[in-house]
Amino acid sequence: MKTKPDKEYLHPLVVRTTHWLNFIALSIMVTSGLRIFNASPLFDFHFPKWILLGGWLGGARLWHFAAMWIFFVNGVIAVTYNIISRHGRDTTIFRKRDIPGVLPMIKYYLRIEKDHPKYGKYNSLQKLAYTSTPFLAIGVTLSGLVLYLPVQLQPLTWIFGGYDFARWVHFFFMAAFIFFFLGHIFMVSISGWQNFWSMISGWKRLSKDEG
Amino acid sequence: MKLPFNFIGVFLFAILLLSCDATPEGKVEEALLKFQKVDDGLKAKLFSTTKLSPAIADKDLTPESQYRNNSYDTDRPPSDTTSNWRLEVRGNVKYPGFYSLDQIKTLGMTVENAKHVCVEGWSQNVKWGGTPLWKFLDWIGADPRSEFIYVECADKYYESYDIESARHPQTLLCYESYNKPLSLEHGAPCRIVMPTKLGYKSAKWLTKLVVTDKKPGGYWEDQGYDWHAGM
Repeated sequence: MKTKPDKEYLHPLVVRTTHWLNFIALSIMVTSGLRIFNASPLFDFHFPKWILLGGWLGGARLWHFAAMWIFFVNGVIAVTYNIISRHGRDTTIFRKRDIPGVLPMIKYYLRIEKDHPKYGKYNSLQKLAYTSTPFLAIGVTLSGLVLYLPVQLQPLTWIFGGYDFARWVHFFFMAAFIFFFLGHIFMVSISGWQNFWSMISGWKRLSKDEG
Repeated sequence: MKLPFNFIGVFLFAILLLSCDATPEGKVEEALLKFQKVDDGLKAKLFSTTKLSPAIADKDLTPESQYRNNSYDTDRPPSDTTSNWRLEVRGNVKYPGFYSLDQIKTLGMTVENAKHVCVEGWSQNVKWGGTPLWKFLDWIGADPRSEFIYVECADKYYESYDIESARHPQTLLCYESYNKPLSLEHGAPCRIVMPTKLGYKSAKWLTKLVVTDKKPGGYWEDQGYDWHAGM
């Protein structure tokens, strides 16, 4: 007699490794990036010291331009792996058929709708969020390249509306990542320890009413 | 709804660990400087001697009233830089010596509108005027095999450049902005303007220029800024 497995292999090694490397790289990019922002703020605000990295502008630049390599190489590996392996293709990637599910999920989260809409591993909003991350990464990388080499990469600078506008675009994509991060942390926190642990070990122990 | 905040705590703790705003020192700084070396090498490789910083129409210039001066502590202008000013030339050149502004001006003046981008993130479009540095280097008989230019300033500032950037057509021995002689706070009587590099490369109050085959440092570079600083 076949018994129901009590655990499920969710995340292959490549996914787990790139996930955590990305977390480290992005943490460095954001905290050092905000220190660079503070040197000449886009708007009348300075980020508080305790979330910053680098000490002074030169230190923050050292962190920023080191972590960008980790972010970039790691991102290329992650995206390539996900495309080739088709990992999460059915569970995580947002597609046309997920569109009708977006509004009910928003209503549910806003407490307009009491019943939790039915879905597979991830709901439409989660799929949308996960699927947007590679695009956010591309946006933040390209706008960052404009700030890095505005003269040598002039066509790209032009596409992003010039050097000064690219600073806003770069900031916007960073903010989008923060927005994603907050939602992600919230979802992880309500999904329990087993779910969190699966991103480290790969395996998720299933409770009896799950699976 | 149960919120297991224990591991959110781990997240936040990790971020805080990363984020104590400490200046990188010791082994950490060494490692980061290795990355910087890669960046600098890449910037040098990508640098094109013919690619110009984009032309800027007169109407897009930063108004002279907003023509900005940065606020680094080195930027308190020395009290008198203009009287009897001479540029001292040393190193691997045929004609070392002291050159006056009038002598430099005989090589011809180029006026260019160019974006000046500060490492802090702000930028401005300035109308510069000066003699292209490559003309001056030819005139003093700079050794073509020497790869670096080093300059000293009337304050404690010093800078150095790769020869390709120094010979870039937009690199100026600058003595005018907005069709007027440079003001004291902008580097009178003569400064470097290099629109292909970050602003800290555009050294003010020049006093000395050395052609050398040994890579020199720079005021900020020796504290952690990148040396090539190409854009």
